[in-house]
Amino acid sequence: MPVGLQAQPSLGVPGKKRWAMVIDLRRCIGCMACVCADKAEYDVPLGVWRTIVKVKDTGSYPNTKRHFMPRLCNHCDNPPCVRNCPTEATYKHEEGFVLQRYERCISCRTCIAACPYNARHVLPKNRDRVKIGGVIDKCTFCHHRVAADLVPACVQTCLGRSRIFGDLNDPNSEVARLVARHSVVTLKPEKGTAPQVYYIKPDRVHTEQVLSRPVSHAARADAEAFYRHNRGTQFFSGVL
Amino acid sequence: MFEYSEFNIAPWGWEITVYFFLIGTAAMTYVYAAAPAVFGNVFGGIARSMEPFQKTGMLAALLLLLISGPLLIVDLGAPERFLYPILHFHWTSPLSWGALFLPLFGLCIVGFLAALWFNRPQLLKPIGILGMLLSLSMPLYTGLDLMVHQTRELWSNPTIPVLFVILSVSSGTALVSVIQLARGQFDDRTFEFLHWFLYVALGTTLALFLGELVTLLYGSEELQQAWTLINERFWVQFWVMTFGLGILAPFLLMIVTHYWKSAWVLTLAAVLAAVGAFFFRSVLIYAGQLTQIYY
Repeated sequence: MPVGLQAQPSLGVPGKKRWAMVIDLRRCIGCMACVCADKAEYDVPLGVWRTIVKVKDTGSYPNTKRHFMPRLCNHCDNPPCVRNCPTEATYKHEEGFVLQRYERCISCRTCIAACPYNARHVLPKNRDRVKIGGVIDKCTFCHHRVAADLVPACVQTCLGRSRIFGDLNDPNSEVARLVARHSVVTLKPEKGTAPQVYYIKPDRVHTEQVLSRPVSHAARADAEAFYRHNRGTQFFSGVL
Repeated sequence: MFEYSEFNIAPWGWEITVYFFLIGTAAMTYVYAAAPAVFGNVFGGIARSMEPFQKTGMLAALLLLLISGPLLIVDLGAPERFLYPILHFHWTSPLSWGALFLPLFGLCIVGFLAALWFNRPQLLKPIGILGMLLSLSMPLYTGLDLMVHQTRELWSNPTIPVLFVILSVSSGTALVSVIQLARGQFDDRTFEFLHWFLYVALGTTLALFLGELVTLLYGSEELQQAWTLINERFWVQFWVMTFGLGILAPFLLMIVTHYWKSAWVLTLAAVLAAVGAFFFRSVLIYAGQLTQIYY
């Protein structure tokens, strides 16, 4: 078992479940319904996201293409966030989920620093309806829904059935068949995190680090203004 | 314009940079102040030159600890849970170890001061040795806190903890020099002692700076991106404040001190080295986070 985890990775272990997601990028139309479903499911505040869809344009007119890339926590089998958490607030579930204990989190943001997928965020304090704030939050693969035999909210709402969720240890599940039949890609496999979100046909602009910088200065300026406005109050003083 | 629907914030800001700097300075100040008790007549008794500094040095280390500890707590999103890293100790997290060592280090400072105050010289050496080990752990754990992030290539580098220890030597030397100069206790032995430490610190910092450059220039695509980022957004901090003011200028001043033994010049060199130590850490902390933000 990788050091610092609370449960053995269950991938390929008979009799155990290993929940995973396959994202078929041939089917993603960039409607952002998954992002909205996630916001609705968890009352995710403005400025932070549990899942996002990154968009990049390539080429120049008339030869152009818009690429979409849904991103979320990869629920790694060797999660660096779990290993680095000083209070074991984030932990590995025996069925593969990487989850967060809000009551134990001190919001030191080490897990954010450790995550190579930029999948974690700080929940602002003083929220209106949900009282959980000032701690770290992330995608949970909708653990509460999966426990009730439902699929995650983003999967449920996906218009093009681009997001597919299931038990990778079950050879008859759709995710197991897709992973077996397609040349799937995981993000940053060289980091040794063993991510469990598999992509079918991603584009280089979304998977390679050197191509990953935002080109759109308008989007970046918006984000900078947002964080500058909130700096020192809700989002601490992190750098952009 | 539609390109990025999200731009998460990098988690660690100025509080962490200042904390790393202050705790490193406190650690080395402790080492200087405890040196006469720990080393005594070893190395020709040169450590005894710090005897007049013992009480002041310990008070300075305590003051820095009293600033940096609360700063770290305030930086937490849930500051009221600051004891959780000890109560729910996680051995694979350097932060947990740091949270454990930090109060112990504080206890050593208080214990040393108490032994001085109540005139118990037999306690000075054991407390001094224990405190020195803990003071070494302060910059070491802050460096390890970055190094263990296998996913951030600018940090995931075994030289980072060593670098942080060396940078704390620079900043600690600066504080001691300023205090001793202000108190008029900068004699020849003190000069020799501090001069040697500053030389070692600057030489090692230069070597590690060059090592960092080579790593960045010959590195993977993430390091290439970090190199671009450093030169675009942090070039003043990296090239001017760290390399120019923090390494080259003190080296030149150290050459001057070979011909002109001036406490002022040595103190100026140490202060500049401390400025470099602060900015070197801050560039590494900031730039190391941004590559992930862009991904």
